[in-house]
Amino acid sequence: MDGAAVNPAVEVRDVHKFYGDFHALRGVNLKIARGEVCVAIGPSGSGKSTLLRCINQLETISAGRIYLNGELQGYREINGKLYELSPRQIAQQRRRTGMVFQRFNLFPHMTALENTIEGPVQVKRQIKAEAIERGMALLERVGMSGLEKRYPNQLSGGQQQRVAIARALAMDPEVMLFDEPTSALDPELVGEVLDVIKDLARTGMTMMLVTHEIGFAREVADQLVFMDNGMIVESGSPYDVLTNPQEARTQAFLSKVL
Amino acid sequence: MAEHSAGLKMGSRLSASEATAHAIPRNHVVPRRYPGRVIAVIVILILALQAGKAVATNPNFHWEVYAEYIFSPTVLRGVGWTLLLTVVAMGIAIPLALTLVVMRESINPILRGAAWCWVWFFRGTPVYTQLAFWGLFAVLFPSISVSIPFGPELVSIESRWIVTPAVAAIIGLSFNESAYLTEIFRAGFRAIDPGQIEAAQAIGMSRPKIWTRILIPQAMRIIIPPTGNETIGMLKMTSLVLAVPFTLDLTFATNAIANRTYLPVPLLLVAATWYLVITSALMVGQYYLERYYGRGQGPVLGKGGQH
Ligand SMILES: Nc1ncnc2c1ncn2[C@@H]1O[C@H](COP(=O)(O)OP(=O)(O)O)[C@@H](O)[C@H]1O
Ligand SMILES: [Mg+2]
Repeated sequence: MDGAAVNPAVEVRDVHKFYGDFHALRGVNLKIARGEVCVAIGPSGSGKSTLLRCINQLETISAGRIYLNGELQGYREINGKLYELSPRQIAQQRRRTGMVFQRFNLFPHMTALENTIEGPVQVKRQIKAEAIERGMALLERVGMSGLEKRYPNQLSGGQQQRVAIARALAMDPEVMLFDEPTSALDPELVGEVLDVIKDLARTGMTMMLVTHEIGFAREVADQLVFMDNGMIVESGSPYDVLTNPQEARTQAFLSKVL
Repeated sequence: MAEHSAGLKMGSRLSASEATAHAIPRNHVVPRRYPGRVIAVIVILILALQAGKAVATNPNFHWEVYAEYIFSPTVLRGVGWTLLLTVVAMGIAIPLALTLVVMRESINPILRGAAWCWVWFFRGTPVYTQLAFWGLFAVLFPSISVSIPFGPELVSIESRWIVTPAVAAIIGLSFNESAYLTEIFRAGFRAIDPGQIEAAQAIGMSRPKIWTRILIPQAMRIIIPPTGNETIGMLKMTSLVLAVPFTLDLTFATNAIANRTYLPVPLLLVAATWYLVITSALMVGQYYLERYYGRGQGPVLGKGGQH
């Protein structure tokens, strides 16, 4: 706990990621303060998903360090040597980040409510009645009241994504990660999901979000990073990056999407 | 008219359209007739009746002998043993196969290799041979002992007390079956979207929890129909236990009576009847299992299309 107040919620330090010979992340540095909303934009294939997946350890990093509230992720470091954590310890660290996927990835054999309480009951060993009460409250918060008993295949894409957000929130994560949460949605459903995320940003949740919705990024981001070719090319306030980009690559990308 | 457009939007604010849903007069549709179907039904009924009559009135079928033995104690005991062998062998084979699948998907190469060899061996040799081998186990290894390798013996038990004919039959059937089930289960797990594992990992689930809470329930839907098939196959495979030799199962019982009375046909019918009865019972069980594990996945075959 010591120094937790001064540590950033997320710190990515010179992280590289190789898939075989392919260099997907090339020395990424990023700090997200507590309560801050960091939005990553950039062309497809630039490594945005890879970065998010490294932060919650769905991928192992090839070089560098990632810290969450000051705690090194995935390893114990003794005298400059890294020792792999046990699968249990890694699972424990993963609980501290909530992840929302582009394709929702709800558990199809569970209802909206069952999806939401699965983590609290099975992983955190919460009492079921309490988990249900909390789950209902979370589903209400994402505008899903009355649909708790529906299975994912009985919900629209936007509704599924909102359940996925409730499922992630149910674990009380320190950081929420969103990987293009609206990219798989029909245009008219994008708004309802963005509204929920905006709402979450207002409550002071630390978030990192990958999106192609530039207008939304401008609205919610405290920090905007532009990624290209496995690197963070430019970062700063959304106003600076979007209206006054310094790098040629940022300018080129923005001229295409704005 | 306003209700119609409101009803299309499946959202959280349904109440207004739900209230008026009863008031909407539904289309009255005269169902289409299918004369071809009626003709087909009539033809099939006639054929079935003729076949039934030919079988029922044919003296060579010795229905009086059939009636005498269908509920005879020997036959009923055979039914009991066949059912027991089937259930116990499947009951062992299924968890064994699950373990083998988890081993096959493990990151440990020794575990993967061991599981591969198990499947290779038990699928690659005939059940009959395996059953005969298990029957000879007590002869080949007169005692089973727990000892330190090349060191002193700790406990020793005579094999014939452990590997009795019933045990040999069950081991033989279940080990052989586990190899086939492993392949079926593996296909079931492979069909699951990898995003499911990632979502489970993202909420901090451990590997065992991911297997039991996420993968197994989803694979069940795919696994159950072929496993039902295997169970029915197992029911009939139990007739091979005479290789052990184990002599209390249904086929052995009816064959023994047939040999004594020189009337094989009615006793074959007795056996067939009981196998059919058990199969039907298993099918009912499968129906309920499929319904349970199919929850949230919609109908596998569309129930909507009538044609
Ligand atoms: N599992 C993988 N194996 C090999 N290459 C991968 C893998 N995952 C991603 N990549 C590659 O890494 C690069 C970055 O991918 P990604 O992070 O998904 O980009 P983005 O999310 O910005 O579109 C892409 O070129 C992609 O092809
Ligand atoms: Mg991506």
